[in-house]
Amino acid sequence: MSTDDHSNPLSFDLECHNINKAFGDFIAVDDVSFKIPQGSFFSILGPSGCGKTTLLRMLAGFQHPNSGDIFIKGQSVLHTPPNKRPVNMVFQHLALFPTMTVAENIAYGLKRRGISKTEQQALIKDVLERIDLPDAGNKRIDQLSGGQKQRIAIARCLVLKPDVLLLDEPLGALDLKLREQMKIELKHLQQVFGTTFVYITHDQSEALVMSDQVAIMNNGRFEQVGTPQELYYQPKTPFVASFVGDSNRWQGKVSTASGDLLSLTTENGLKLSGLPASSEPFKENDTVIAYIRPEAISIIPVTENLSTVSAIDNTDDINQCHGRIVNILFDGARSQVLVDTRCGEPMHVSLPQTGHHTSLSKGDNVTLQWNKKQCLCFRPAESNTSPHQNLT
Amino acid sequence: MPPVSTASLSNTSRIGLWLLLAPILLWLSLLIILPHVDMILISLQERISSRNYSFSVSNYTEFFTEPLYWNTFVRTAVMSVIATALTLLIAFPVSYYIAKMLTGRLKTVLFVLCLIPFWVSELVRTYGWMIILRETGLVSTFLQWLGLADQPIEMLYNDAAIMVGLIYTSMLFMVVPLVSTLDSLDNSLIEAGYDLGGNSWNVLKEIVIPHAMPGIVSGCVVVFMLTLGNYLTPALLGGKDSLWFTEQIYTQFITRFNWEQGSAFGMLLLILSSLIVWVGLKLSKQSFSKVMS
Ligand SMILES: Nc1ncnc2c1ncn2[C@@H]1O[C@H](COP(=O)(O)OP(=O)(O)OP(=O)(O)O)[C@@H](O)[C@H]1O
Ligand SMILES: [Mg+2]
Repeated sequence: MSTDDHSNPLSFDLECHNINKAFGDFIAVDDVSFKIPQGSFFSILGPSGCGKTTLLRMLAGFQHPNSGDIFIKGQSVLHTPPNKRPVNMVFQHLALFPTMTVAENIAYGLKRRGISKTEQQALIKDVLERIDLPDAGNKRIDQLSGGQKQRIAIARCLVLKPDVLLLDEPLGALDLKLREQMKIELKHLQQVFGTTFVYITHDQSEALVMSDQVAIMNNGRFEQVGTPQELYYQPKTPFVASFVGDSNRWQGKVSTASGDLLSLTTENGLKLSGLPASSEPFKENDTVIAYIRPEAISIIPVTENLSTVSAIDNTDDINQCHGRIVNILFDGARSQVLVDTRCGEPMHVSLPQTGHHTSLSKGDNVTLQWNKKQCLCFRPAESNTSPHQNLT
Repeated sequence: MPPVSTASLSNTSRIGLWLLLAPILLWLSLLIILPHVDMILISLQERISSRNYSFSVSNYTEFFTEPLYWNTFVRTAVMSVIATALTLLIAFPVSYYIAKMLTGRLKTVLFVLCLIPFWVSELVRTYGWMIILRETGLVSTFLQWLGLADQPIEMLYNDAAIMVGLIYTSMLFMVVPLVSTLDSLDNSLIEAGYDLGGNSWNVLKEIVIPHAMPGIVSGCVVVFMLTLGNYLTPALLGGKDSLWFTEQIYTQFITRFNWEQGSAFGMLLLILSSLIVWVGLKLSKQSFSKVMS
């Protein structure tokens, strides 16, 4: 990202440099910097209260950063009021004007630009066709369904051809089925219009499905920015590893730290190997947190009753342990089994619906295997759980 | 459930309903409907000799043929419209500030501050204004002390004094409906108005006012009716020549003891003011049921 900055500075629609925002003593946004290339779908994903809305409102101009700078198409907009910024925002509850019809809602922004009546009509007709609601113009807002309102709210912004469209959890109010559908539709709209989208959400599947780039935000900071694949396969911090996707987690001590892989012993005596994912190298006896995803573990049923229920087989690149199924959590494609390995919490293991595992039932003994390289090891982070307090 | 018990249940609930409605029905019929019916009957009589009355509409034609009555009514209506408009102009920014700019404790405090003057009676409030505005009053003395006036100034007994008193009396009835409708306006709608390129004037005109319209109209209707029917404030602050229509009614009933004429004026006031409100609603494209809900 850093090499081609200078050759073509305008290829970034939005740049933020070291943005800070504090409410009294509480730091809501802490030194956030990022750049969004033109025409891409950028998501900010984080738990509730991590400062996503605050960041977005600073981009829209409703709040002012305490320090830092915001550039849109290479121009600083720090002193530009919201109504003059080339960005538009889709609000969490959409904020469609209930006293106006759909067409009047869309016309509101066009009128402010001094566009002639006939041109307004043409633009409204065009945008309504593009969002697939050609006859909605004369409807009142309360006559629309949730998904239709959604599309009108987006059309109302896109008709103004903003450089950047900001979306604040716009799917939050929809039911599950509609949300799935709107995810695909939003991505489609973004590609059709070619506008840069900044999308904030606390729903990881929304972020992973739609985005070109995702920033993981926690306690006002960006933990990691990357493609959905990078975040899923190469998380850089324990928070990202646990927040994106599900994970089994162990805490332990490093026993040997030579070579590519790390050997560790968990608090309950389980011996594992894993790939170090922190930038700093590990030394012996360091505290370490290891994560393995439920879907990376394979289940092998054991027929005879083993006396040593928990044992480690040190095959070259396979971690292995034994346990007993304590529960089967059926959830269609996302079904999981809970396996008690007698080493702390029961492990979550995905149950592939390929037909091989239909005979598994509660109480069965199983062997669990996973690739050592898929087990990621991190240093425990300090400021991970408590909200970030002002340090200055 | 067997039909008998349903019937008895609905019987008891019907009795309950009547019991609940009884006070309001009594109130309506005894204090509103009966007197008005009686007033209509009286207004349509003409005294021929003592205890001898005949049917006649002369009391009504009197109103239209005698310019004094007609002019007094027009003057009262125009002054009331102006007072209503001024009250709205003053109350709207105040209400907007209370409802949208303030949060928490300060909001409650300011709202209560608007209510406090109404804990004392209208009479006391009006005397308050008299103390301030009269020749030996506060303003006059203060101006003399400053040297801006070399003799006492009488600020009572003119239209401006009436106007001030009327606006002051009406403020509450405008602020309350305005604050409650503005409170229900979602802040994100205002932000969306700016975000889509509008300036403050656009946002006010296209978003805030359309949303507040029911509150504005209901406030205006109440204030207009109260002002038109006000007796105390114009009489005390306007003095003898205030020419307020309610004073004409008072004169007919009390001074001249002409109940027939007074009743006719009362009915005319009711009809004409309803007519003005109806025209106002039509002009603002609001329906009465929507405004009052
Ligand atoms: N005006 C404000 N005054 C004081 N604190 C605020 C203000 N606005 C936000 N905060 C605090 O800043 C933090 C971040 O708020 P923000 O609304 O940005 O969270 P969020 O990430 O959007 O959460 P959610 O997903 O629940 O919408 C919260 O802890 C909130 O209490
Ligand atoms: Mg939020």
